[in-house]
Amino acid sequence: MHTPGNTVSKTVSSYCYQCVAGPDLMKVDTLDGVPVQVRPNGTAAAVHPAHGKVCVKAFGLIQKTNNPHRVLTPMIRSNPRKGRGEDPGFRPATWDEALELICGKLNQAQARGKMDDSGFPRVAASFGGGGTPTVYMGTFPAFLSAWGPVDMSFGSGQGVKCYHSEHLYGELWHRAFTVSPDTPLVEMVISFGANVEASGGVCGVRRHADARDRGIRRVQVEPHLSVTGACSAEWVPIRPKTDPAFMFALVHVLLHEAGRKRLDLPFLKAMTSSPYLVAPNGFYLRDPATKKPLVWDLGEGRAVPFDAKGIDPALEGEFAVAGVEVGPDDVEWVHDGIPCRPAFAHLVDHVRPYSPEWAAEICDVKAEVIRKTALDFLDHAHVGETTEVNGKEMPFRPVAISLGKTVCNGWGGYECVWARTVMAVLIGGLEVPGGTLGTTVRLNRPADNRWSSVVPGPDGFMNYPMNPTKKGEWQEVPTSRHAHQTLVPLAANSPWSQALGPTHLAWMAQKKGFEHLPKPTPPDVWFVYRTNPVISFWDTGAVGEAIANFPFTVCFAYTHDETNHMADVLLPECTDLEGLQLIRIGGSKYVEQFWDHQGFALRDPAAKPMGEAKDFTWIATQLAKGTGLLGDYNMAINKGAAGVRLFGKGFDFSLEPEVEHSVEGIWDASCRAASAELTEGAESQGLDYYREHGFRMIPFPRERWYLYPAMIEQGLRFELPYQERLLRIGQELGARLHEKGITWWDRQLREYEALPHYQDLQGLWEHAQEAAYNVKIEDYPFWLLTTRSMQYSWGGNAGLQMIHEIASNVAGHGGVMMNPEAARRLGLEEGDLVEIASPIAETKGAVILRQGIRPDTLLMIGQFDHWKTPFAKDLKTPSMNALTPMSLELTDATGSGADLVRVSVRKLGVGA
Amino acid sequence: MTRYAIVADLNRCVGCQTCTAACKHANATAPGVQWRKVLDFETGEYPDVSRAFVPVGCMHCETPSCMDVCPSTATGQRADGIVTIDYDICIGCAYCAVACPYQARYRVDEPSAAYGVGKTMRHEAAREDPARLGVAQKCTMCVDVIDAGVAKGLVPGVDMGATPVCVASCIAGALHMGDLDDPDSNVSQLLREKRHFRMHEEMGNGPGFIYLYDGEIADMTPIDPAPMVADPVGLAAVSPKPQTSWDWRAAANFMAGGAGTGLFAATMLAGLFAPVIWGAAFAALALVGAGLFCVLLEIGRRWRFLNVFRNARTSWMTREAMMAVPFFAFGGLSWLTGWVVLGWLGALFGLAFLYCQARILRAAKGIPAWRKPELVPLIVSTGLAEGTGLLGVVVATTTATGVPGLGMALAALVAARFVLWKRYRRALGKTGAPVQTFRVLDGPRSGLIGAGQAAILALAGYAMLGLPLQGLALVLAGLAAAGTGWLFKYTLITRAAMNQGFAVERMPARGAGESAPGIKPGWTTA
Repeated sequence: MHTPGNTVSKTVSSYCYQCVAGPDLMKVDTLDGVPVQVRPNGTAAAVHPAHGKVCVKAFGLIQKTNNPHRVLTPMIRSNPRKGRGEDPGFRPATWDEALELICGKLNQAQARGKMDDSGFPRVAASFGGGGTPTVYMGTFPAFLSAWGPVDMSFGSGQGVKCYHSEHLYGELWHRAFTVSPDTPLVEMVISFGANVEASGGVCGVRRHADARDRGIRRVQVEPHLSVTGACSAEWVPIRPKTDPAFMFALVHVLLHEAGRKRLDLPFLKAMTSSPYLVAPNGFYLRDPATKKPLVWDLGEGRAVPFDAKGIDPALEGEFAVAGVEVGPDDVEWVHDGIPCRPAFAHLVDHVRPYSPEWAAEICDVKAEVIRKTALDFLDHAHVGETTEVNGKEMPFRPVAISLGKTVCNGWGGYECVWARTVMAVLIGGLEVPGGTLGTTVRLNRPADNRWSSVVPGPDGFMNYPMNPTKKGEWQEVPTSRHAHQTLVPLAANSPWSQALGPTHLAWMAQKKGFEHLPKPTPPDVWFVYRTNPVISFWDTGAVGEAIANFPFTVCFAYTHDETNHMADVLLPECTDLEGLQLIRIGGSKYVEQFWDHQGFALRDPAAKPMGEAKDFTWIATQLAKGTGLLGDYNMAINKGAAGVRLFGKGFDFSLEPEVEHSVEGIWDASCRAASAELTEGAESQGLDYYREHGFRMIPFPRERWYLYPAMIEQGLRFELPYQERLLRIGQELGARLHEKGITWWDRQLREYEALPHYQDLQGLWEHAQEAAYNVKIEDYPFWLLTTRSMQYSWGGNAGLQMIHEIASNVAGHGGVMMNPEAARRLGLEEGDLVEIASPIAETKGAVILRQGIRPDTLLMIGQFDHWKTPFAKDLKTPSMNALTPMSLELTDATGSGADLVRVSVRKLGVGA
Repeated sequence: MTRYAIVADLNRCVGCQTCTAACKHANATAPGVQWRKVLDFETGEYPDVSRAFVPVGCMHCETPSCMDVCPSTATGQRADGIVTIDYDICIGCAYCAVACPYQARYRVDEPSAAYGVGKTMRHEAAREDPARLGVAQKCTMCVDVIDAGVAKGLVPGVDMGATPVCVASCIAGALHMGDLDDPDSNVSQLLREKRHFRMHEEMGNGPGFIYLYDGEIADMTPIDPAPMVADPVGLAAVSPKPQTSWDWRAAANFMAGGAGTGLFAATMLAGLFAPVIWGAAFAALALVGAGLFCVLLEIGRRWRFLNVFRNARTSWMTREAMMAVPFFAFGGLSWLTGWVVLGWLGALFGLAFLYCQARILRAAKGIPAWRKPELVPLIVSTGLAEGTGLLGVVVATTTATGVPGLGMALAALVAARFVLWKRYRRALGKTGAPVQTFRVLDGPRSGLIGAGQAAILALAGYAMLGLPLQGLALVLAGLAAAGTGWLFKYTLITRAAMNQGFAVERMPARGAGESAPGIKPGWTTA
């Protein structure tokens, strides 16, 4: 018997953060300097929420590192013509030559001014993977920081394939860039297409497996039976994109069929905007002197400011009151003795039409299923109960609603995230043990601390860094190519905001600019890392054409791919197992990463770089040096641009600014600062310590998973259910845009409702497709959807043979999934080759029959249709990306769209 | 005692294939080889559908059918229940592969690489193991890890350092490993707490891989057998597939070996009534030899062929080889010397060889069409019918004496063969088999269809009557008897030989959900 894995010559510690659900800790075994095996990190079992495990994608890293298709030297394009049909004519180059070429372009841009004639940054950058490239790009963020304005608006998936409405509204309402059930305690989850078992990372998988062992009731509402649906107690096959109707009906049942006493009335009165009186124009009635919103005190029988002590505010009823109403641009209406009702009463009226019977027809789900789901939710809510967390008593509400991609992006996203969060507040289950939690913040600051981001804002709510919409404050001339600050107030203006703007507008503008916005320009220099928008975005043909027009593109290249086919320079950087980096881990992060510890972990190179590949930190340092920015670059590192601030109370490991520091020198300083930060300056172990131990942690108090204590401490309320602020900024935004002559964003302005109305989303999609392409929708009878796969999502690993091999064990990969009854009607059988077409493009693939999909729906897993990436291009796997149009009409107010398109199916051949 | 086993909690498993990947890493298996993998099952019809993920691999059975059949004793079983393979003595006959009802065994004959041999990656080169080429391989339960861990005082299944990598890497905590004989072990405790089943329990192997499917242990309702579903939608990956271990070369051994031993026996029997036709005896020896030569071409490690004699205790392949030796010795000597007594001894060993061949198939538990007891007399009878038919051809075309007698014998054997075929087919239909097995066996190219056998009977019957052209009738009947027998065996060994496939007795209860009936996809009774 031979087990070759046991002959190991060296083991190093590393992390896997290929997907947003990481990071996770692992070990890498090497044999004579060759990385041969990835293993879980057993020593992290005590601190990591998933016991030190890594998911299947991490195991692909051995092939990724040793892949024979890697680009191993810098390469320079010799063919000036760009495009899919052009041979780039890449020739190997030295690093000196490649860096000189890039720095020359950057220096030209500096000389001309960092903003171009349209006011857009001359340098642009696109990174994939929901921000995860940052943990592989060493000190490159410090270089970008030193450079200054960089346009991040060219999306590679963000906005179109993320949880966009959840990100923006989630951060507004409860500091929730992403939203998670409190899985370790939750008893029931209603999951609308959230595919946590495929895209929730090892922490998500582990926590939900534990929950199933406990007997959690999860109802999976989605058009196809995903991996997560398979792991759920019940599957409800809902008609695509009708989720808001189902959710509105849930709210209806709670408000119109369950008794009031079953709701958490104290929570609604004290922790939400429910008692705020709404004046005739839809804005709060306010105290004339303080401008504070008024509530009706049932004890005194009069209107008082919301924060008056010892009151019992009314949730329902109509009261004649006096006050002032403040509308857009501070316009005021003075009222005296007008009838006003609390926001909660408006909510009750608002959802009255949305009964389960009403929703049943829209969703193709029986009314009793919807009603039972709502009542089960209520039964499991434990309203009135409390629990202790680290000695602190908090409400215990073990129910939550999860939303997936396509449900919470594009039109309908607002309705869904609003209804989900309203369901949580109705039973007092927002940000409390067992309930609906935010995970991390990216738009609010500080980014590493949800509690610290809770600061008082207007009207008793949390502050939110909304992009201004008032006259004189609104950003009339955008500074990004997708105009995120101009068009999307909720996108805020943090370093992450550009990525959360309407990214497809940047691509659309490259083809045809938007009226009254600056002339669209390509960036002088475009950096690309860990993303491949030519296959990962929508209308991939149009994206490819836009990229082909960019004058100078620098791709950090692992292998050749569809995007770097258009590049001018390819730079081979050390991949995951070759580069050195220290990152912050623990606390609460994306998706399901809730730790009881926080600290830092090292990515220690398991092998010397292949070929001429260079550590990203070295590349960043050389770019800083070559552009004369070394001082600013080092200062940026000192301030924390590489993940940890190098100075603090009782310690200072700052880098000398004008010196070129080695890669190890930079990370040794970072390790020392990290040690000092964790020990409040008492210790300062450097790189050697982290190489030996892999990570260093201190406790992260579990009560910090919940925002509730921070809200109580500051006396703040959740801005729900009534959206007075959004109503106001929507009207202000409309006024600003119209003043500028912009009317093409009018459809999006309709989203700014205080209480969202149901809209026929299927009809919206159908109409948009018919109108834009002059087609009959009946000719495109199927809804085409996609879903994530754990094997492929975010990994950029379509070119890895092992991933392909093992992903093939999971049904649905490699073809188009359809219901057998639908297939029978078309005369199709398993394996038949079909063409799936939308009005803009077509793709081909084999039919995969499964009972677990609606007859009106098709499914294509992941993102494929490669034509250049080695190995992947031979897979013949269809992808919906080329078929999905970029459409302004299908862009919601947050600037996102949804992975959804009507398609036709035509048989091309018989299966093997 | 210690009995290591793996327990898979189907409520927890998400089908992520992390165990699959971890196993490939730890064991440096070749592209396409998955000692551990997770299957994707779906049951029901839209919209009432269940889906479950089921890890499979070597089940480390209590009574491993792979070990019993192994002629070289390369497959063994440790005292702790782990089924092992000694790559250094395995001859690569793949008998174990067809004997395994769980499709757990692989044989890789040539070095391979993920992106092609010309692009072998450095980690592939660093971990190439020539000892694993041309021999059987399967899950080792990471026995080296277990042993190393135990030596350090670690507890398998509890400490990561002593636990198989698939279990240690499982992100859902679905896979557990431990000692079934220890009532306090993790696995024993799980089995006390949760309802469970073992795959293909009816096979009697006692698999050491147990599936938990429901937390309600108090509900002791017996599990119904997984219902057979002949044409399940989208379950091709888990349904029975044609076995790929034995091809025409193995089939040739059964065709030539059966016909040859039958011919030798018929020749010696005919020698009671007329001079022995030594040419026919030689042809019989040559046929059997040719069949065995084909087997030699089939095995992965040809120069180790003598290891085939190492397991007379349980392996019918060893016994077949052992019978071949005196068959050739006595048969050859009788042909050289003309001593009829030696010929009789040769015939007896030849018949024993033929019986061993039938038992080889019977012991191949992984192939539903082979493992039926009713196949044994059918294989023996067709060997005799083929041999008698061939002798008839020789007699009719040479001495032409005794044609009626041979016609009678052939008619009797063909009739008996047909009856035994029908008996076998009925038995197969009663217990069920893969749909494709029935489609092939009942198809026009199966060999033993009634019309063809009736025609042979008619021709043989005519030859009995002593009428003109009786020789021609016997020649035609003899060729047809041999030809249809060969066709039947070729079909049986290759096209009808679907493997067992996979099945789940129950779909798991997920969280607060309920368990649903399981499925045995691609199976039917008929």
